[in-house]
Amino acid sequence: MTDMMHNFELFQPGSLADAQALVKKHGDNAWLLAGGKDSLDWFKDRVKQPAAVIDISGLAELNGGIRDDDGGVYISAMTTLTEITKSELIKERFPMLADAAERVASPQIRNVGTIGGNLCQDTRCHYYRDGFPCYRAGGDTCFANTPTAMNREHALFEAKRCVAVTPSDTAPACVALDAEMLVQRGENQIVVPAEEFFIGPEIDIERMTVLEPGDILLGIRIPATWAESHQYFEKVADRNTWDFALVSVAMAAIKEGDSVSDIRMVCGAVQCTPRRMSNVEDLLKGEVPNEEMETLASRVASSGAKALNYNHFKQPLMANLAKRAVRSLSA
Amino acid sequence: MNEDLMPYDPTVDYTGEPAIKEITPDGSKHIPPWKPLNLTRRRFLQGVVCSGIAVSSTAILFTSGTRPARADARAVERLITLNVNGRKRNVDVAPNETLAHTLRYGLNLIGTKVGCNRAECGACAVMADGVSIYSCSTLTHRIKNKSITTIEGIADSDGTLHPVQQAFIDELGPQCGFCTPGQVVTAVSFLKENPNPTVDEARMAMSGNLCRCGAYDHYLKGVMKASEKV
Amino acid sequence: MAYKLIGKDFTPPDLVAKVTGSAKYAGDFRADGMASIKVLGSPMPHAKVKSIDLSKAEAMPGVLATLVPEDVKQPGPAGMAILSSEPAYVGQPIVAIAAENEQLAADALAAIEVELEPLPFCIDPLESLKPDGPNALTGGNVVGRDVEFQEVKWSGKDFALAGEDGLPQGKVPVEWAFGDVDAAFDAAAVVVEETFVHSSNAHHAMEPRSAAAYWENGKCHVWGSTQSTAFAQPGLAKMIGISPAELVFVAEYCGGGFGGKASAYPLMVLPALMSKKMGGRPAMLRVSRAEEYYNGYARAGFQGWGKLGFNKEGRLTAADVFVVQDLGTTTGFWDFNNVGAAISIVFQPESMRFRAIPVLTNTVPKGAQRGPGENQAANMLEPLFDKAARELGIDRVAIRSINAPGEGGKDAKYGAKQGPVTSAYLKEALANGAEQFNWSERSKASGQRNGSKVRGYGVASAYHSAGAAGFDGLVRLSPDGKLHIHTGVGNLGTFSYASTSRVAAEVLGMAWENCIIERGGTTKNLPWNFGQFGSNTSFTMSRTNFAAATDAKNKLLEIAAMELGGAADDYKLENEMVVATADAGKSMSFADCAKKAIDLGGKFSGMEAPEDINPMTAASVAGLAGSGLIGVSKDNMPKTATVPALAAGFIEIDLDLETGKYEILDYLGVADCGVVMHPQGLAAQIRSGAIMGFGLATTERHIYDPEYGRPNAIGLYQAKPKTYLDVPAALQWAAVDLPDEQSPLGSKGIGEPVEGCASAALLCAISDALGGHMFNRTPVVTDMIINAAAGLPQSHKPLQTNCQ
Repeated sequence: MTDMMHNFELFQPGSLADAQALVKKHGDNAWLLAGGKDSLDWFKDRVKQPAAVIDISGLAELNGGIRDDDGGVYISAMTTLTEITKSELIKERFPMLADAAERVASPQIRNVGTIGGNLCQDTRCHYYRDGFPCYRAGGDTCFANTPTAMNREHALFEAKRCVAVTPSDTAPACVALDAEMLVQRGENQIVVPAEEFFIGPEIDIERMTVLEPGDILLGIRIPATWAESHQYFEKVADRNTWDFALVSVAMAAIKEGDSVSDIRMVCGAVQCTPRRMSNVEDLLKGEVPNEEMETLASRVASSGAKALNYNHFKQPLMANLAKRAVRSLSA
Repeated sequence: MNEDLMPYDPTVDYTGEPAIKEITPDGSKHIPPWKPLNLTRRRFLQGVVCSGIAVSSTAILFTSGTRPARADARAVERLITLNVNGRKRNVDVAPNETLAHTLRYGLNLIGTKVGCNRAECGACAVMADGVSIYSCSTLTHRIKNKSITTIEGIADSDGTLHPVQQAFIDELGPQCGFCTPGQVVTAVSFLKENPNPTVDEARMAMSGNLCRCGAYDHYLKGVMKASEKV
Repeated sequence: MAYKLIGKDFTPPDLVAKVTGSAKYAGDFRADGMASIKVLGSPMPHAKVKSIDLSKAEAMPGVLATLVPEDVKQPGPAGMAILSSEPAYVGQPIVAIAAENEQLAADALAAIEVELEPLPFCIDPLESLKPDGPNALTGGNVVGRDVEFQEVKWSGKDFALAGEDGLPQGKVPVEWAFGDVDAAFDAAAVVVEETFVHSSNAHHAMEPRSAAAYWENGKCHVWGSTQSTAFAQPGLAKMIGISPAELVFVAEYCGGGFGGKASAYPLMVLPALMSKKMGGRPAMLRVSRAEEYYNGYARAGFQGWGKLGFNKEGRLTAADVFVVQDLGTTTGFWDFNNVGAAISIVFQPESMRFRAIPVLTNTVPKGAQRGPGENQAANMLEPLFDKAARELGIDRVAIRSINAPGEGGKDAKYGAKQGPVTSAYLKEALANGAEQFNWSERSKASGQRNGSKVRGYGVASAYHSAGAAGFDGLVRLSPDGKLHIHTGVGNLGTFSYASTSRVAAEVLGMAWENCIIERGGTTKNLPWNFGQFGSNTSFTMSRTNFAAATDAKNKLLEIAAMELGGAADDYKLENEMVVATADAGKSMSFADCAKKAIDLGGKFSGMEAPEDINPMTAASVAGLAGSGLIGVSKDNMPKTATVPALAAGFIEIDLDLETGKYEILDYLGVADCGVVMHPQGLAAQIRSGAIMGFGLATTERHIYDPEYGRPNAIGLYQAKPKTYLDVPAALQWAAVDLPDEQSPLGSKGIGEPVEGCASAALLCAISDALGGHMFNRTPVVTDMIINAAAGLPQSHKPLQTNCQ
């Protein structure tokens, strides 16, 4: 309502150690600011009001850009989405990630928004964003899953009290590419597979990722395994700019001859985390992609879905996007 | 006059009389008339109560725009120097202040518009080191080391319009004009990077600038026309 | 007829300011010591304010003043309050606070404590009409323009007869008919009948309606965002509680209005009241995007039912339409009437019955939005025409053409009273458009598959009335020979303030570079003009400027006759000179005439003014008196009929059945706007109106949670207006370009129907691509297309509202 941020202290530490010290000092009152695209809205709505905002954009450890990593790539967390869409290395090896990054929001947001921020952004559930005291906000209700709730954008799967979905376009791509997240935790660096990096409400209903307070995402490592494989990314949203996915699909596949030897397919915006479409993967492995496979893929793509009031359209959309991904393999 | 031509006019639901209630605080106290327009700028600045984290008297230092970020754990200082449109400008910036706010209120550069304050429209677009960004969703302290160009810095100092501005006039790009500064800034930034774009490239580059009037067709023609001249 | 200026492109004088950022909108007002105002909006959809505790807020640093509902004037029943003690929708302003700057005001706002007692609320008009349904306002649920505030409940039988998915048809306050509808249905070859829903739609002008004010020397100065300058001023003064003479009103630029800022509005008053409380200190209310949504007077939604009967040739012999309008919380606009009127003129039914009821809900107040009622009518009814065309085996352009008014409108009838129109060339617009679009050949590809994509075509028409009479014109020839054209119409961005000013220059034969448009505030000595809304400017302002310039012309001729001998009839105007027709050597420059006018005084220099002009114009004439030759006149030219603006749209799309997304391959809009005044400006309106229409038809959402009564599409990323990437890079336009005989140079307005014909055409094309699938809903959102293509039911019930 105020549309003005609360008052906070802003810190711009020059080193990772300083940043961590600040987080430790301010505890629950600390907030890490990367590109700032998600954070500032929370502050302007005064739904979140951390007293100490720590701008980590200047940290050298997060600003290494994009580099070769043994045939894969390493992307520093502060790399902007525009840099990713323009990177020759990424376009050559992991074009799906460049495609996904290019579908994020708008050019100006991509100019400033970072891959780290895009992966770590909070869900867009409008009840949660509006400040409703829901489970995710520490309350005891899900306002998006009442008998009359407006939940067109919400989850088909894995809804445990909360029905919010992952909003990230790059997250399904990273999971499909079997990326690893490099995280600074205390004095240690830990490596988390992308698939485990994103967590659902059954693990922690108040977080979207494994990052704990004080953890800092340093970068993303994408292994060579899927470099220059058959890749496909498609996002369906109401608008082609400034919109979050209704459903997105990311696929990486390796073919031997005509048949698929290995494949990872991931769906975005259907549950709290990027969803591995294991049914489709299992179906395709060892098979020659053709019309029959497209049909079968679409048949199994959304099995197990539990639709809410307004989102059963996501089931045919998932099915169709799976079909289109498979179709791209025979093209 | 046709009745169905009348606007939705909420004022018709109000009576002309009586006048509004007396709105002095206690009904009796005389409020001296405000004498605003002869105050000096300087006195005004002194009169402003600082918001946010209080500024201590020792903290009034101007940091150079080119100095590296501080490495210690002290919070940012409020008084900074910004490089805007080629000029160094000293300005008091709260930690939670957006660049759009600094430009519009701190530096009186009102050409930068705030349409949404949420990175959803592009009316606030300015260039930071030549790159189009949303000033409404950027903390000023985040970009204090960058060179900022606003709509006021696009035309030549002698008033000669930039080819993008001239082309927007020729193609009747603006309608209500509120999104226009952002459209101009983004187009200028884009054509610097890609002076010979295709229409599709221009469309993509401009796509972060909303125009509720829907003048996209005319703006795009303007961008393409300007590309022949930059 | 060939004109020197009319019909030619030109550069409107405010463009440089717009591209350089020097154009000053209301929120760009600055004054030393300017305080900042913040408004506390209701968190509840309907509540009674029990208490307001300002103590904490007032104790905060920098807080200067507060306003609560008791401090301000309250409107009549169902009026839009400045501040309300019975907020009736989420976001309705309750308290305002001023502080030294915006940060302090925001911080103080957060410290205000308001105790609210929840009241029953309702977001669905049909719910409110149920026998025990809740009323959105205490004491009633139905009101409207010319409809008294009252409680209306339909019977259980009304609802039972309709069934769960039918529209109950209980008693209504608005009903009219002509012809024998029942007999016509009995005789019809084809009857189509559907229920439908049209969503409400937020204007979301780019510029939120910020406002600023200060008081000085007994006068209140207000900077506001409005489409209309002169027209808005008296109403604003009334709300502030002062006489118009005490109000200086500046509105140089308006960052988008679309009907939402047609005139003055309560939010614009707050800075003036707050400033008064601070002894006149300047105060600015910066309105946020969310507040713009809450206070933006959205387009009204509808739930409705329509039944159309056709003979075998495709002529519409009977129409029966029933609509329920969602008013939000105020008396709103007469969209309901306009639905009926639009149907009557666009389709010229031989018989018709129309029923309507405007109903209050606890959603944002509804006002007028571009084609209010008329464009919803197009979106709701045009798909039914397609259905009928398919059943009759008639081409979709042909069925519209058969029914459209044309040939100047000589047999055309308008509205309940079946009155005449000044001109109508919709038939011609359809014919020209079909030819330019190559409709008959291209539309053969309807339904053609290309992979997952299928081709669809749409055509549709729309209407809005387009002109008024009775306002004043004012021009001044200054002694330097310049023509000052005073216009109070407002600057919405259509540039019609400028193109209609050129009428005065045309009449006097002035070079455009010697003309100066005086506009933007009451300081500019404005004549009393109608506002810039309702597609009226090109007609109304052409007439006032024609009248004023004609008065100036007569005075020029009189002065020349006085100075050079002979009678006024012996002279003509040529190259900014008054020249004797028989002797080119006898001449006098306009500049010299202006000097002479000052010498002569009286009517020539504005020392005397016509008696029939509005007091605002008279005051402006007095302000200019003695400074040149004054041309001033009320527009007393005859206007004997409704002026129709009509338009037709043609569209080609590819619809992807797998993703629910469509791509517009081509669009052509054709306008019947009389004589084209400003081709480039018209092109811009046709194209951009279409883009707004595409949003209205498909992506723009208006959502309320029924349990909590809270809106879920407030911001732009949720409301989803179209972006560059959602529309074609180029759109086509054309105009019939035939004159309206009651407009002195033949022009009439067009701004609104160019949206409605495009939105309805797109809806028809989507339906066409899906083999004639009837969505009966606007907008048709991605998920609905996916469900339809997959053969799945929709998530919403047929008449459910505020859910897409």
